[in-house]
Amino acid sequence: MPVYVDVARCIGCRSCEVACERVHEGLGHVKVHFVGDSASVPIFCHHCEEANCTIACFSGALFKDGERTAFDVEKCTGCGLCSLACPFGVVWTDKIAHKCDLCDGRAEPACVTTCPANALTTDFELASRRARVRAARTAAQGGRR
Amino acid sequence: MIRIDPDLCLGCCSCSNVCPNQNIVRTETQDKRSIHWKRCKEECDLCVEFCPAKALTLVPFDESVPEPEVSFDLVACKICGSRYATEPMLRRIESVLPAESQKDPEGLEWIRVCPTCRRNIEAERATREMVLGRCRKSP
Repeated sequence: MPVYVDVARCIGCRSCEVACERVHEGLGHVKVHFVGDSASVPIFCHHCEEANCTIACFSGALFKDGERTAFDVEKCTGCGLCSLACPFGVVWTDKIAHKCDLCDGRAEPACVTTCPANALTTDFELASRRARVRAARTAAQGGRR
Repeated sequence: MIRIDPDLCLGCCSCSNVCPNQNIVRTETQDKRSIHWKRCKEECDLCVEFCPAKALTLVPFDESVPEPEVSFDLVACKICGSRYATEPMLRRIESVLPAESQKDPEGLEWIRVCPTCRRNIEAERATREMVLGRCRKSP
């Protein structure tokens, strides 16, 4: 259950970055990247099924907990191997590692509840419905030129 | 006292992070990382236990043994050129991850790319997908 991003809705305000930092004592786990003038894309942990970070972690600090890729700060030695093993560059090491925990203990991740553009959701059904609606609309218009 | 096998050391600084007495000193410049193990009398073996490469061993204290120091040239990102990791750390990642996952769909060896550039690539991919979705006509 990762956070799904609707790139077409993202307005590049970086509210998700701020919300993430706010609830994680200043260490944020999401970064908004700008692609020229065409888009802004918040880059999140995908909570991969077979997560490279958990394979690279030798101390057992990173592990799969159901769909979540969880992190136990007590076991982390700050070696940074996880950061190098993540293909998306979303496991961070500042002395110790930190990554998206989907705001463990909150009903919804803070980035999702904060996003003013409704670009983020944890609801796969909603994300996929939006994508289908958009595809159908574009097709009905004969594709945009 | 700690003995170190420089051939095994990854340069990850795990030992320096876990040492309760700051006896393992890490210095980093823009393109080089050095680790210096001070002669230590402690019988604690946290650094030995938490070395991912098993490069450290606890040996009896000996004044005559020089304090070991290991230096690593930091590897430059293939895209932006920023120095982001030691060569043995990247080799370690390449050895533990399945071979088929070490190249992205475009054939890029992403392990040799720094995390910031990896995020940029992901952002560009997501943008491309969105733009294509806007243009796609019905089949």
